[in-house]
Amino acid sequence: MIVQSGSNRLGIILFLTPVILLFAVYFVYPLGFVFVTSTLDWNGVSTPEFIGLRNFIDNFQNHTFQKSIRNNFIWLFALGFGQITLAAGVAMILARRPRGWRFLRTAYFLPNVISQVAIAMMWKALYNAEYGALNQFLEIIGLSGWTHNWLGEIGTALPAVLIQQVFYIGYFMIIILASTMSIPESFYEAAQIDGANVFQQERYITLPMLVPILVTSTTLAMAYGLRHFEATFLLTDGGPANSTSVMGIQLYKMLKSIDYGHANATGATLVILGIIVIVVIRSTFGRAVNAGEAEQ
Amino acid sequence: MKRLLVVLTLVIFLAVPVAQVFASGAGEASTGEVVLTFPTFWVGQDSKSGPIASLVEKFNNENAGEIRVLIEPNPDTDGYRDKLNAQLASGRAPDIFVFNPDPTSFQYYDSDILMDFTDELAGAWGDDFVRSYIDESTIGGRTKTVPYEIGITPIWYNMNLLNQVGYSEPPATWDDFMAMADALKAAGVVPTSQMTGGSNAWTSMLWYSHIIGSLGGPNVWDKPLTDPVYVEAAEYLLQLYTDGNTTRDAVGGDAGVSGGHFLAGDTAAFINGPWYIGRIRGDAPAIHAATRLAAAPQVGDYSGHQIGFLLSNLAAANTSDPRKRAAVITFMKFMTDPENVTSVSKAAGSLFAIKYELGGDIDPLQQEFVRAASDSTFAIGHFQSQYPVAVVQEFGQALGAMALGEATPEEFVEMLIAANR
Repeated sequence: MIVQSGSNRLGIILFLTPVILLFAVYFVYPLGFVFVTSTLDWNGVSTPEFIGLRNFIDNFQNHTFQKSIRNNFIWLFALGFGQITLAAGVAMILARRPRGWRFLRTAYFLPNVISQVAIAMMWKALYNAEYGALNQFLEIIGLSGWTHNWLGEIGTALPAVLIQQVFYIGYFMIIILASTMSIPESFYEAAQIDGANVFQQERYITLPMLVPILVTSTTLAMAYGLRHFEATFLLTDGGPANSTSVMGIQLYKMLKSIDYGHANATGATLVILGIIVIVVIRSTFGRAVNAGEAEQ
Repeated sequence: MKRLLVVLTLVIFLAVPVAQVFASGAGEASTGEVVLTFPTFWVGQDSKSGPIASLVEKFNNENAGEIRVLIEPNPDTDGYRDKLNAQLASGRAPDIFVFNPDPTSFQYYDSDILMDFTDELAGAWGDDFVRSYIDESTIGGRTKTVPYEIGITPIWYNMNLLNQVGYSEPPATWDDFMAMADALKAAGVVPTSQMTGGSNAWTSMLWYSHIIGSLGGPNVWDKPLTDPVYVEAAEYLLQLYTDGNTTRDAVGGDAGVSGGHFLAGDTAAFINGPWYIGRIRGDAPAIHAATRLAAAPQVGDYSGHQIGFLLSNLAAANTSDPRKRAAVITFMKFMTDPENVTSVSKAAGSLFAIKYELGGDIDPLQQEFVRAASDSTFAIGHFQSQYPVAVVQEFGQALGAMALGEATPEEFVEMLIAANR
């Protein structure tokens, strides 16, 4: 047991105070503001009127809001499972240091240092129905029947936005790659001596060792999915016919309508859903993490 | 004790936002030179950026030592409005700013945050304005913003393309228009530029407004959204989205797509206001030379009308400081001085809510605008000017649904009605 002297305690308080203050000012206070105003009928200038959960009820009765929640969960699973699976797969391949792996590592990470706006504009041009490269390519290879207004058709808009985001695996790939490369070579050498092939080595050595980082990455990716906004806003603005809308888009539109009560009820819903998702992920994968840590 | 501290901390952090929400602003006083900040999107690529900067410089020179206006550039219009809304909601309006005169923004009239110009505009200064624009900017007897830029949005025709299919004049009726569209399509030309994207589906929203005006006449906006005229107009608008009457990327397309196709000579008809003159003159001089403006084709009982509206008003933060108030009013009078307005109008192509003479030495397309405005049988505002932002935002989504066959014209209007609740 560590016994802290009075001077130590003062030091701890002094060091922690700035962080706690910043946390309070930039997190606790705005969060309190969001929750308080989510119960008000308030447009920013009118006299606020307390209306309880009315804003939440209105939101959940709205078809577009319901669609937005559904889309948020599609994003959550697409990023949490699709993106992480891809990132882990690429990381495991690159960890075996194939020819040009350093170049590939940089190439995969490059989009993460480019502005999301620039990337979205590029994809918007790529997907354009009239002059987009995707349709032109399909026409060149004789598949003109497959061309679409990718961002303007209900059946293709959401997949089109999802795909352009899911393939940007660089961030998670780097995290998982770092973890993969820290696995001692001797484990693989021993497995090779025992006659394990590459797939067996990945299945029985790499994957179990990666479980904690995979769970953390999945949690982060799902959180990104839940709060997703930028790509959809820039590519479709939630359209067509609200088919790609997410809660972030709804919140933004409510703010533009200076409807702060409903907007902050949406924000509060996002916070609550985020907490629920994180708790569910941690409790679902908790045992796997513990098992993975035990194996290490 | 620890538990008490935690509870107290939570109470404080929850009490502060509550107090802020219910709090009101406080007065201020100034001495020496009065400095006024003027955040605006009339900067960068905007056609008014140069003329407005010159005007402000001229004002600062004329009022050196007394008043100084500082332009805060904010080139992104949507971003500017978002930022402004946040500032107004937090009770901290900029000294001078560009106010978007729509039903949502007019809600700020209910607060004390905006400076009231009612008394000043009731005097000689008000005589400089076209009276109807002051009336449009007056709510509950108070004029809390100064009418400034206006717009009319006739149909723009690329006469080179029309001539190719045997039309020397823009079509006068809807049937003529659709016949022209068929001829254009046969020649491989897309008849119209449309868009469902952006914050307001601008081009298509204007087409809808024109059609509604032709069906319902000068007082059409008095009719509620449940009136059949909205469904009937939607049926006509839908025709522009079917049978190849617009580009394939119109659903989901934004102003760049809609305008871009016209500038590229891909489409024969387009709609926008005079502020676009600078853009077309610079980016597509051949199209600029071939463009002719006309009233929308007649759909119903009314014809020859235009969509005319207040585009931007000038506003200022309310203040209890008499010197600052006087400085703001001095600047507002300077900005709306007919001579100064004329110089901006000539340079940028924009039109204003002030009485002024442009003379003959102006851009031919601007002359077309002046002619279109003077020839109009009546003017109505556009759909966006009549409904809250929530409805305007839903317009593009509902139009997309209708264009894709996911909603009937009746359901299109129902979506607007739902957003209006």
